[in-house]
Amino acid sequence: MAKGEITITESLCKGCGYCVLFCNRGCLTLSKEKFTSLGMALPVFSDPEKCNACAVCAWMCPDFAIEVYKFVETKATA
Amino acid sequence: MTGATLAKTKVAGRPRLKNATPVWYCPGCGYGIITRVTCEVIEEMGIEDIAIGIAPGGCAGPEGTYIDIDYGHAAHGRAQAVTTGVKRANPKAVVFNWQGDGDLAAIGMGGWMHAMLRAETFTTIFLNNAGYGSTGGQMAPTTPAGMRSSTSIYGKDPRTAGFTVHVAEMAATMPGVAYSARVAINTPANFRRAKEALRRAFEKQMAGVGYSIVEFLSPCPPNWGLTPIEAMRFVEEKLIPIFPLGVFKDVDSIDYSMPAFYENK
Repeated sequence: MAKGEITITESLCKGCGYCVLFCNRGCLTLSKEKFTSLGMALPVFSDPEKCNACAVCAWMCPDFAIEVYKFVETKATA
Repeated sequence: MTGATLAKTKVAGRPRLKNATPVWYCPGCGYGIITRVTCEVIEEMGIEDIAIGIAPGGCAGPEGTYIDIDYGHAAHGRAQAVTTGVKRANPKAVVFNWQGDGDLAAIGMGGWMHAMLRAETFTTIFLNNAGYGSTGGQMAPTTPAGMRSSTSIYGKDPRTAGFTVHVAEMAATMPGVAYSARVAINTPANFRRAKEALRRAFEKQMAGVGYSIVEFLSPCPPNWGLTPIEAMRFVEEKLIPIFPLGVFKDVDSIDYSMPAFYENK
């Protein structure tokens, strides 16, 4: 069960691949189909089930393109 | 799973002080990560109302336009002089400047030395990427001996091009310096240490102790001729042995005593 998810703003991403390098759980891979205007491969959130919202990808993103969300389980009051 | 719902909360993303302007850096440049370090430290210390940044020329030039704080612009290499004026006119403000290695260690070396000798109470964020970035990767004083650049294509020869400047160690020898550290942003652990070092530097300034400088080692993939991921490994394997990380000076007071040269009769 996924504990978190990330969104990548592809218009800001320059395709450096630091998120793929620093993700400890291997959730991200570099795309083989989508590229930036300079020809760098864009990252894809390919394995969302492994994500635990550690936010390392967002810290190491030089272009502020990644946002990390954490799923917090809340007991329903009803 | 009845009775439980999943709430989605944002844990990381663009810092609150970072505005929506896209950063102009090359793919893989570490300066964007240093912008995040600066934003997050200012946010966590709650000093965004009194912080003033000075950006000179070079790759660090537009740094002030990305952060929603007051900022000024200096001529290339003259950031220390402008920052001195801003700090002396606003003694309660937290004043700092961003300077690259061409700006601080080459053209602005004289201004930097004398700002340290005067024990000016501001903070310098020194961004070291071992070369002149925005002009095309020429050799800088911080380029290590043997490293290739566009003006030293067989490696920098110390016999003709000089030795390497170690900025954080040089600053530690100056009597007016309160805090001098070198950090890197090549791993998440070093990112956390970089934030701690910058926070310490701002605290030294706010306590009015003296000059504080934090040197950031940053990858420069296009000018080093590497891919971004190779450049991060280059920082770890090649640059950190030459530029060791750590705190080189951390004092709480500066000795202003004057020896008695002449006997009073």
